[in-house]
Amino acid sequence: MPRIAMTLGAALALIAGGPAWGQSAPYLGANAGGASSAEVTSGNRFNPDISLILEGNAYYDDADGEGDDLVGMAEGINHAHGGDDHGHAHGGEAPGLNLKPTELFFSASVDPYFDAFVQAVINDDGGVDLEEAYFTTRALPAGLRVKGGKFLSGIGYHNEKHRHQWQFIEQNLPYQHLLGAHGLMDTGVQLTWTPATPFYTRFGVEALQGDQAVVGRFDGEEALESEVPDNVVDRFGEPKQGPRLFTAFAKAAPNLGYSHELQAGVFGVFASDQQELHTEPADHILTGQYWLAGTDWVYAYDAPHQYGKGDIKLQAEYLYAVKDLEVAYHGANAAAVGDRREFTQDGFYLQGRYGFAANWRVGARYDMVGLTNDKAVGTTGMAADYDASSRVAANLTWTPTHFSRIQAQWSRAAIATADGDDTANQYYLRYVLSMGQHGAHDF
Amino acid sequence: MIRLIAVVVALAVALPAAAEVRVAATTTSMAMLARTVGGEAVAVTTMAPPDRDAHYLQAKPSMIRALRRADLVVAVGAELEVGWLPAAIRNAANPAIRPGQEGYFEAAAQVELTGTYQRADRAMGDVHPSGDPHVNLDPVRMAKVAEALAARLAQLEPAAADAFRRRAAEFGKQVEQRLPGWQERVSDSPGVVAFHKDINYLMHRLEVPIRGYLEPKPGIAPSASHLKGLIGDLKARATGVILRHPYHPPAPVRKVAEATGWRTAAIPLDPELGADAQAYFALIEAYVAAIAGER
Repeated sequence: MPRIAMTLGAALALIAGGPAWGQSAPYLGANAGGASSAEVTSGNRFNPDISLILEGNAYYDDADGEGDDLVGMAEGINHAHGGDDHGHAHGGEAPGLNLKPTELFFSASVDPYFDAFVQAVINDDGGVDLEEAYFTTRALPAGLRVKGGKFLSGIGYHNEKHRHQWQFIEQNLPYQHLLGAHGLMDTGVQLTWTPATPFYTRFGVEALQGDQAVVGRFDGEEALESEVPDNVVDRFGEPKQGPRLFTAFAKAAPNLGYSHELQAGVFGVFASDQQELHTEPADHILTGQYWLAGTDWVYAYDAPHQYGKGDIKLQAEYLYAVKDLEVAYHGANAAAVGDRREFTQDGFYLQGRYGFAANWRVGARYDMVGLTNDKAVGTTGMAADYDASSRVAANLTWTPTHFSRIQAQWSRAAIATADGDDTANQYYLRYVLSMGQHGAHDF
Repeated sequence: MIRLIAVVVALAVALPAAAEVRVAATTTSMAMLARTVGGEAVAVTTMAPPDRDAHYLQAKPSMIRALRRADLVVAVGAELEVGWLPAAIRNAANPAIRPGQEGYFEAAAQVELTGTYQRADRAMGDVHPSGDPHVNLDPVRMAKVAEALAARLAQLEPAAADAFRRRAAEFGKQVEQRLPGWQERVSDSPGVVAFHKDINYLMHRLEVPIRGYLEPKPGIAPSASHLKGLIGDLKARATGVILRHPYHPPAPVRKVAEATGWRTAAIPLDPELGADAQAYFALIEAYVAAIAGER
């Protein structure tokens, strides 16, 4: 699919016509004539822009160092009784000093038709993860743009933000539990349309491979092999052909002058092939679909002061997820096969920050999952209603310059786990430093 | 369905097809120049108001909207808008205004810059290695930019080429007429102190020495130790004026002024929204008057 998209993108770019190369800025040294044996070379000027972000923290909690794990164990549809746990797959903070993954960004124009961008992270053990590697088109007409490769989905507001841009250290609860620790990051293709409307609007659709830990989770052969007979593995081990994950989003921002900016959006995600292996009360495989709908709201006030003083930013998102599954195999009760299991969970976060002095700001966040937190079982009428989990957080940030940030944060999580309710106070001192040609940030 | 989409797309393409050249200017100085040169053949929107520091803006949806519909971007350039303009252009999905295209114009690329750094090191603060981008307060450089802008507008709207050139020349003539008077009025000035390194071109043009900066390094907020050193330097000199922009914090300026007896003035870096050439000259006048101690 990405290959098809790439070909399509190239074809569209060609149809759009070669750009008229206009008169550009006077070339430096254009009049450096004269006889000389000097070599005329562009040297390294075609190198991509590179930037490098360092992040680390000191962390303590009052839960024997397991505060982060606790947050991952919040009860819900993706952490149901007996389910395989993907909730806290991403190693939490250890009490003491932590180095977070070092982010490495490369970006450049490929040619008149494509830009390309790569983000890799180097983990503290030296392992490298490729988080994003994508191209975007430059020359499509009518406000269209195609993005292809591996990238953070354009849904919501927080999803496309890289870790170093996060205002709070941890992923918010609805994203973590309903989308995944990174949000939605996948391989695929995206088409966006920014029409020339009197106020800002943007529409996008994505077709993604669907290789995710939460939405479109597919336990697959490896997980099945240890639990169920071979003939079952053969039947349920392979996912459907990709793309298996589809999204759509729309954003709009009215014209509110220079001081105020409001952006609102809606989005939807549909995973056509969800598979889960549950081990209690007996091994059973559930297959079906996962869909999610949400809305995102951002308001920013830009004060006429220097160094961020007086600036305000508020953001909120609400996510509603439904898993519509069927029992595909049941180790103890063959009659249950075909029985329906519907899981529903939602959550939201609300956060704000205020620049109370030059280079200083305070922030607060409330995030929760499980206003609705249900499991409904088709024929038996059996149902479960899980409790909600929530967290409050506050932080104080000092940004000496654009390029450095020191942040102190306190979070208090009240988590409903399978073993009852539990709370943890978490304390962080975090630094984020950026080096190199750090590109401009999107809104 | 496909037909419906085709109709919607066709409408969206047709929508901005007006007779005039749509200009998206980054600052009010650039908007003033586009309006002055373009006259009625252009429709200008300004992305950054004069009461905000163009260094520190974010690529906001309203900017993307302006760029999406623009035929020409007029930027100050030399990385002044590096924090937001590239992202806004990237997201505007408008191939005509990409850097390198006919629809992208940087003022700083049309004139000679000073303050180029051999070495680019952020330990020196928020420096612009390619040179001081703040050309907008130098009327002579702005006249040169006006000529280049007239040539660019002529490419986009050939029918009005003569009018563009005539208006650019008229702007240059007015600068020529006013400059000697301005220089005359400030010729006795013992110097100025600037908050940020962004009025250097004007001071050089007026032949007024800069005795120091409130910021210890470009983009670094004034520190107590730096102000102490600055106060020491200034006490040894005849009293001049400390200039800040309204968005700069007044407290450190007041502190230095009280300790040294220097006068203070808060004057914007750019003219007001919707400014024409007269408003721009009035802004230069305000600097001249403050330096000359006429008010």
